[in-house]
Amino acid sequence: MTPLDHYPAIDLGPLMKGLVIGGLGIFHVFLAQFAIGGGMLLCYLQWRHMRGVCQLARRFTDDYFKMLVLVSFVLGAVTGVAMWFTSIQISPRTIGTMVLEFHWVWATEWTFFCLEVVAGYLFYRYGPRLPDRTRMQLLLLYSFASWMSLFWINGILSWQLTPGTWLETRNVWAGFFNPGFLPSLIFRTISAAAIASLAACTLVNAVPGFTREERQSLVAVCARPLAFMLAMPLVGAWYLGTMPADSRGWATGGSVPMTLFLTMAVGSSTLIGLYAVLAILRQRLFVNGATASLLLALAFVATAGGEFVREGVRKPFTIREYLYSNSIARDGVAELRRRGSTADDPYPLRDEADYPNEQLVLGAKVFRAQCSVCHTLDGMNAVADLAATWSIDQRRLNIAQLQRTKPFMPPFAGPPAEVEAIVQLIGWRHAGRPADWAVSDDPAVLAQIERWLDEAGTGPGDARLAGGPRRP
Amino acid sequence: MNTLFPFGLPPATAFYLCLYLATLVVHLVFMHYVLAGSIYLAVGRLMGRARCQACRWQSILVDWLPFATGLAITAGVGPLLFVQILYGREFATANLLLSHRWMAILPVLIVCFYLLYLQKSAWIARRAWAWRLTVAAIACAGFIFIAWSWTENHLLMLDQTAWPGMYASGSLWYESAGVLPRLAAWCFLAFPSLAIELAWQGRLLGDRLEEPAAADTRVPGLSPVRRLAVMALGGWAGTLLAAAAYWPAIPDAARAAITGPLAGPWLTVAAAGLGLQIAAWTITLVSDRLSQGTLFVMTTAWVATLLGIAVVRETIRLTAVDLAIGGELHQTALGIGGLPVFLVFAVLNAIAIGWCIRTVRIQALRADFR
Repeated sequence: MTPLDHYPAIDLGPLMKGLVIGGLGIFHVFLAQFAIGGGMLLCYLQWRHMRGVCQLARRFTDDYFKMLVLVSFVLGAVTGVAMWFTSIQISPRTIGTMVLEFHWVWATEWTFFCLEVVAGYLFYRYGPRLPDRTRMQLLLLYSFASWMSLFWINGILSWQLTPGTWLETRNVWAGFFNPGFLPSLIFRTISAAAIASLAACTLVNAVPGFTREERQSLVAVCARPLAFMLAMPLVGAWYLGTMPADSRGWATGGSVPMTLFLTMAVGSSTLIGLYAVLAILRQRLFVNGATASLLLALAFVATAGGEFVREGVRKPFTIREYLYSNSIARDGVAELRRRGSTADDPYPLRDEADYPNEQLVLGAKVFRAQCSVCHTLDGMNAVADLAATWSIDQRRLNIAQLQRTKPFMPPFAGPPAEVEAIVQLIGWRHAGRPADWAVSDDPAVLAQIERWLDEAGTGPGDARLAGGPRRP
Repeated sequence: MNTLFPFGLPPATAFYLCLYLATLVVHLVFMHYVLAGSIYLAVGRLMGRARCQACRWQSILVDWLPFATGLAITAGVGPLLFVQILYGREFATANLLLSHRWMAILPVLIVCFYLLYLQKSAWIARRAWAWRLTVAAIACAGFIFIAWSWTENHLLMLDQTAWPGMYASGSLWYESAGVLPRLAAWCFLAFPSLAIELAWQGRLLGDRLEEPAAADTRVPGLSPVRRLAVMALGGWAGTLLAAAAYWPAIPDAARAAITGPLAGPWLTVAAAGLGLQIAAWTITLVSDRLSQGTLFVMTTAWVATLLGIAVVRETIRLTAVDLAIGGELHQTALGIGGLPVFLVFAVLNAIAIGWCIRTVRIQALRADFR
C-alpha cells in the first residue's frame, strides 16, 4: 500500500468537503431506510388484509407503494449512485479501498438491488390486478431484497469504524462481520421500521378518499412498528459499547459537536418513541397530517444526528487503524516524513502565480494533500482561523505534533520543511497575502521542528490508538 | 496485445474485464432503450398530437420509460463497480477533473426521471400539447447531457497527459476531437437496440408484427413494423458515419490493436452481426412484416454486435493504460474472498427475478381474461 496517492483535489470554495458527503449521506440513508421499512410495513398490511382484520389495508398498500416508487426508486436510487460519485470526489482513496476490499460484497448487494427493483416495479404496475397471495409473495421478495441491501452495506460501513480482526487477517468476512455489524444492523432495521411507520401516518392523512374513522384505524395499524423503538436504547447502548473507547469518548463528552449531535439523535428518537408509545399506541390518539409530518421531520433530525456521529467518531481515520482522514496510510507516515507528502504530486496549483515564493507554493501543496479534505484556507473550518491566535512557534509546535494538539487529527506526514511551509502559508494569509514574503529557512528552526516531529512520533495521538494493532 | 482478447491478458485482468463487459452489455440494453426512447419521444412530440397518438411505439415508450430508467440505473451499478477495480485511478481522476460538471449528471438524472413519470401522468394528459412537447424535450436534452458527460469522462480517462494541464487550467470541460463523433456514435447505436427491444415488447403485448398492418389500423405515414425498420437502419447509418468521423481521433496504437489480433476478430463479429441486422431489417422494411424467427436472428446478431463493439471500445482503453500496474492490483482483488457468495446470490436472485416475471405475467393475463 502506497503512503499517499495523488489525485486532483476538487475545490468547493468555502464549503467543507465533509459537509457535502455528510449532507448527501444523511438524505440517502433516510430515503433508503424509508424504502426498507416500507417493504416490511407493506408485508404487515397485506398480511392483515389477508387475515380479514383490516379491509382498508390492500387499498392503502397500493397508495403507499406508489409513493415508495416515486420517492425511493427515483431519489433513493440516484442518491445511492450519488453517494458513490461524491465519495470519489471527496476521498477517492477511501472509496477505492472499500471497493477493492469488498467488491464481491458490493456485487452481491447489486444482485439484491436488481431483485428489489423488479419485484417492486411489478407490484407497482400489476399489484392492483393480482390476487392476494401473489401480492404477498412479491411484497415479501421486495422487502427481503431491500433489507438484504441494508445487510450488505451495513457490514461495509460498520467495518470502517470497527474493522476488528480484519486488520490482522485481511479476511473479507472478518471485516464484514465486525464487532459493530450486528448492533448497527438491528438499530438500522428498527430505524427503518420507525421511519416507514411515520411516513405511512403522514400518507394516510394525505391521500384522498378515507373517512376520519378509516384514517384512525389505518394510523393505529401503521404505527405499530413504532413499538420496536422501545428496544432502541438497549441496541444503541450495545452499539456504543462495540465502538473503540476513543470513538465512544468523542460521542459522550470528549467532543462537543459529537456529543451535541448524539444528544440530538437520542433526544429526537426519545420524543418520537414516547409520543408513539404513550399517545398513539396506548391512548390510541388520532395522528393528523401535521403531527405525523412533525414526527417524520424529527426522525430526519435523529437520522442526521446519528449519521453525523457515525461519520465523525471515526476520526482521525476513515478506515480505522488503516487509513487516515486525509487518505494517508497509517503505516505510510514515517515514509512521508522522509520524502515529503508532495514529492510525487503531479498536479500544479491553479493559483501558483499568486504566491510570492516557492515555500508558499509548497505550503499550499501540503495543505491540499494533507488538510483540504476537512479544512479550507478561509472558509468553513479554516486553518487560518483555527491558528489565528497562535504565535509562530506555537504554529510550528502544534502542526508538527498535530495528533497531540487535537487527538482526532492525524499525525503530520511530512519533513520539517513542509511544516515550516504551511506555517508560513498561514502567516502570509494572515498578513493579507502581501506581494513580498521572505523565505524562512533557518536551520535552527527546522532542527527544532524535527525534534518536535520525532517526539510526537508517526502514530495517532490517542494513547488507546497508538498501541493498537497494525497491519502486517 | 498480440493475442485474441481476453486470452493474452493477465488472468485476473481478463477475468474482471469479462465481468465488466458482460455487465456493461446488460446495462447498454436498458440504457439504449432510455436514450433512444427519450429522443424518439421528443422528436415524435414535434410531429404533433395526431401522429403521436397514432404511433404504437410512442405509447409503449411513455408507459415503460420510467421502469427502463430504473433498470438502466440498477444495471449500471455492476459495470460501475468493476470499472473501479479495473481502472480505479483513471476513473477517479477523470471524475475529479470534471468535478461539478460531472456531478451535475445526478440532479439532471433525477429531473429526467421525474419528467418521465410526469409524461405518463393524468395531469399532463389534461394539459396543452406544448406541455408534453416541453417535458419530452427537457427529458431528452437531459439524457443527452448525461451521455455527453460519460463520453467526456471516458475519453479524459484515456488522456493521461492532459490531466495536469486540465487541472491547472481549472476548466471543467474536456475538449477533444473525439468527443462529438463518439457521442454521436453511441446515440445512434441506441436506435437499432431500441428497435429490437420495441419489437419484442410489441410481441409480448400481443401485437401481430408478422402480419401487415390492417388498413383501418394504419397510422399516418409508416406502419409500426416499417417504423422500427427505419429506426434501426437509420440508427446504423448514423452509427457508421459517426464511427468513421471518430476513427481519425483514435490514437494509432489503438487503431492497430482494433484491427490487429487483439480485437480484429471481435470487430469481425460486430461487423457480421451488423451485416445480418441490416439485411434482416431491409427485408422487414420491404415486406412490412416481422416474424418471430427474423426477430430471433436479429436479436442474436444484435447481441453479437454489442459484444464486439464493447470489446473494441475496451481495446482502445487497454492501449491507453498501464496494465503492469493494474494487473498487480487485479491479482490482489481476485485474491480477496467473496466470489462464491456473489455467484450463489446472483443465481438465486436471477431465479427469483425470473419467477416474479413469470408469475406476474400469468396472473395478470388471467386477471385480464376474467
